Amino acid sequence: MKSTYLFLYKNMLQLILGICLVSALASCRKESPQINDPKRYIEGSFSEAFEAYWNGMNNNYIFWDTDPTNWDEIYRKYQPIFAKMNINDSTDVRKSYTYFKEMTSTLIDSHYALRINSPYVQDSAAYISPSDARHQKSLDYHGNINPNFFYSTIPPKYLDRGYVRGFINLSATDQFFAVAGKIKGNILYLHFNEFSLNVIKDLPTPNNAQKALQYYFDEVKKPEGLKGIIIDVRSNGGGYLSDLDLLVGGLTDKEFSIGATRSKIGNGRLDYTPWIPATVHPGKDAKLFTAPIIVLADLNSVSMAEMTTMALKAMPGGNVKFVGERTWGGNGPLLNNNDYYNSGQFSTGFLSLVYTSSTALRYVDGKLYEGIGFPPDIEVKYNKAALDAGTDPQLEKAISLIPQ
Amino acid sequence: MKKKCLLLGLGVIAGTLTSHAQFSIGLEGGYNKNHIITNIGFRAFTKYEPLDGFNIGIPVKYDLNNWFAIQADPQYIQKSYKIVRSSYFEGINHTNKNSYIQLPLMAHFTFGSQKLKGFLNLGGYAGYWSSSRIKGTQIDTFAKVYELPDGAQTPSILDGEPGYSYNEKFIFDSRRDRRIELGVLAGTGVSYQLKPRYELFAEGRYYRGLTDQQKNYMLNQIPRYNDTYVIQVGCMYRLGK
Repeated sequence: MKSTYLFLYKNMLQLILGICLVSALASCRKESPQINDPKRYIEGSFSEAFEAYWNGMNNNYIFWDTDPTNWDEIYRKYQPIFAKMNINDSTDVRKSYTYFKEMTSTLIDSHYALRINSPYVQDSAAYISPSDARHQKSLDYHGNINPNFFYSTIPPKYLDRGYVRGFINLSATDQFFAVAGKIKGNILYLHFNEFSLNVIKDLPTPNNAQKALQYYFDEVKKPEGLKGIIIDVRSNGGGYLSDLDLLVGGLTDKEFSIGATRSKIGNGRLDYTPWIPATVHPGKDAKLFTAPIIVLADLNSVSMAEMTTMALKAMPGGNVKFVGERTWGGNGPLLNNNDYYNSGQFSTGFLSLVYTSSTALRYVDGKLYEGIGFPPDIEVKYNKAALDAGTDPQLEKAISLIPQ
Repeated sequence: MKKKCLLLGLGVIAGTLTSHAQFSIGLEGGYNKNHIITNIGFRAFTKYEPLDGFNIGIPVKYDLNNWFAIQADPQYIQKSYKIVRSSYFEGINHTNKNSYIQLPLMAHFTFGSQKLKGFLNLGGYAGYWSSSRIKGTQIDTFAKVYELPDGAQTPSILDGEPGYSYNEKFIFDSRRDRRIELGVLAGTGVSYQLKPRYELFAEGRYYRGLTDQQKNYMLNQIPRYNDTYVIQVGCMYRLGK
């Protein structure tokens, strides 16, 4: 025992130094930054407004894995600029509109949109939409095909007698319409302007839009005699994801994957969940449709219209062709609550909405078409002159692909 | 490649030391609980939880005298954690089962009688995050919702639709994942001299990671550190005279 004390005495200095060294090292950890909910920031200054927005994007945006935007560089460049501005000065608020446009210009999320919550901004009612800005600059850009063309021109010109069409106002700014009928007696045609199919189908009051959809679904249930189907989602702005099983699931008797989605599991930009299969589920009593299916889409087909196009193309039978133009490129599903996926849209005091996808969709070929658009099998470009003359080259190509 | 270099290094150390007369070698194994020290930020209904794991090692000890030794424990150790969600998201979770090859190097202080001794370990360690497995259940964006009777409540999202369950190998992301971990350790325990050459021991040890599990890849990055509490037992065999 004596030797123990002697040893400890002789080595006391080393022992104390060792304990001090280990203790000092033990405290060598980086401080964790305080990350607040973007909507909790007080809009007292532009500095706060910028931090709220930048952090919200830093933690919620789902495409950092592939997006070319250098978000750290955005912070370094714009944080000092915003710090010098006055949030109560109308000139500075208008300047901020330009800065937000610059900061977001390269974001690939085609759902992405910002709305500034200030009366000083002339366009405050409108969204800052980087995807829309890019879209309009593209060489092939054209606006939506006039709804009247689908509703009033196509039916008498291309559909057999007995077609069904109808519209219904879902809100003051949202009108749904659908057209269904047959071409040459054996090609089933369906067009609708947005994905609210389940909503319309379940409306308690009968209406013509509902009848048009019902016509299509009744025909699909007894496909004998049909030589093909044309599903027309041109200039369709999307809508409810639940319509996928209703529309595409009605054409298959087996589940199939169209790719995979992922969301966030942590606050880091690259903290993703694993890829989760994106599956189409067969409808009740649905039969596999084996005759040709042609899906028509254009560069204004976005969101659910794109996902439907992609889903139809992924059908296992290989009997689907996509005719038209490359789609818009905004196919990441989204919800209006970022608590679901720990990602997606949010708001701040200064920005009434930062609209962005909740999940990323990877197609069955392993590629992300976000910001790129889904390419057609057979490209037939928009032809304004032809449409003005009452003919539809894209639809005519689709019809020609279905053998009689 | 890094894994092979680390193992080779450990082998060389062990090989060098075995030639010394006052050298002991042994086997140890234990149970651990790993806590991930981080910050969940503003994420609602989400928290990190510690997870159990095990470790196994080959302690090697060089006795400088009766009371002081240098010890190294090349070992395999699991440092796992879980992310769980609550309330409406009850049942959504994600587990990271992380495997590390680790080399603790420590000063070993002994005190007590000839047979039964107490000891204190103090030192540092270097680890290599060799592999990881992820397991859990997440919300399935494309799930087919259950057909429920009218008016039925769904207190949890999984009551209304199935989640997606997975159990797969984790693919490291070289932009984010830092696979070398450095840290400090402190341990204390008792040993019993069973026979002149055999010594049994039991120890409680704390590993404190000092390096973030992530590389410095983004501004306002929330660091993640491992804190691992180990209980282990083992046996040492003294080589030489």
